[in-house]
Amino acid sequence: MFSLFYGLYKYMFSKTEFHVLILGIDKAGKTTLLEKLKSQYSNLEGLPPDRIVPTVGLNIGRVEASNTKLVFWDLGGQPGLRSIWEKYYEEAHAVIYVVDAACPSRFEDSKSALEKVLLHEDLQGAPLLILANKQDLADAVSAEEVARYLDLKKLDERAYTFLAVSAYDGLGIKESVNWLVDVMERSKRTEMLQLRAGANLSST
Amino acid sequence: MGLVFSRLFSSLFGNKEARILVLGLDNAGKTTILYRLQMGEVVSTIPTIGFNVETVQYNNIKFQVWDLGGQTSIRPYWRCYFPNTQAIIYVVDSSDTDRLVVAKEEFHAILEEEELKGAVVLIYANKQDLPGALDDAAVTESLELHKIKSRQWAIFKTSAIKGEGLFEGLDWLSNTLKSGGG
Repeated sequence: MFSLFYGLYKYMFSKTEFHVLILGIDKAGKTTLLEKLKSQYSNLEGLPPDRIVPTVGLNIGRVEASNTKLVFWDLGGQPGLRSIWEKYYEEAHAVIYVVDAACPSRFEDSKSALEKVLLHEDLQGAPLLILANKQDLADAVSAEEVARYLDLKKLDERAYTFLAVSAYDGLGIKESVNWLVDVMERSKRTEMLQLRAGANLSST
Repeated sequence: MGLVFSRLFSSLFGNKEARILVLGLDNAGKTTILYRLQMGEVVSTIPTIGFNVETVQYNNIKFQVWDLGGQTSIRPYWRCYFPNTQAIIYVVDSSDTDRLVVAKEEFHAILEEEELKGAVVLIYANKQDLPGALDDAAVTESLELHKIKSRQWAIFKTSAIKGEGLFEGLDWLSNTLKSGGG
């Protein structure tokens, strides 16, 4: 009985924890972004970019920003590994989709992988932040141009935006996190996930 | 090769005692991997408490190896080896498709252990040299690695007898532990 009330208490008064998936094709810069997030928002150092190897699994970053707890899940983007992305959809509050803005030859691959993500029903209503990454490189295109290339349809039922960032030098990271926290706090999906967590709690 | 490894892990843990568990079903290739890494002499403990633990002491890191599965009566003793574990290296025989289900169950059972909650997980999809060995994506699927959501994990294709993939995995491990672990 006590544990029930304690659980309820914790559920009602603890800081909300948001799960954010970091997706994108290989070499987009997902892990570099994660490490940058860690170094900017926590007291962890974060791995320098030259030590980052292709991800073949799951990297996790836990940070606090604007009085919320954020848990970032960074999944590997190589074609064979993309099949596990969907296993993480159900519990995700939002998605960051990273695009290498300096590599137009892979925009097509990036576009089709993202379209698949957006079609999945487990991600219904999840806010989507698309990052035109690698702005530190001279030939990187703008966020608007990435938006034009991706030419996404059926985005209306979710909050989304395009931002230009550089995971390498940190440009645009703060704006990205602010945008995410803001939309996640107001999103229907957050409500839905909270209700579900509450239902699980009372049934145990 | 041993030298590369030594540079990789030196100063990683400072003077703290650290433990890395190398686990898997019997015949997965755990001992072969330790020999391959040439970090030190593999010492087998005398199995007084019913199961055999191999230990490699490397500076302040203890690598400890035993077989999962089998006798349930001795399992409580496994816990003696759990404290201060920073990482688990889980070794799977990728060609032994019949036993992947057991490998999966044992793996998830060990991850439930309270004292191992903070450990990061490195999976070796071993025996890639054998015909019919599943690749990393297939082993990921079979082991249901996606169920791991609160700690970092990575999977590497390895061939312990050829010495392939082992150091890539350890490189990931040392980077992950350095950047704050799970």
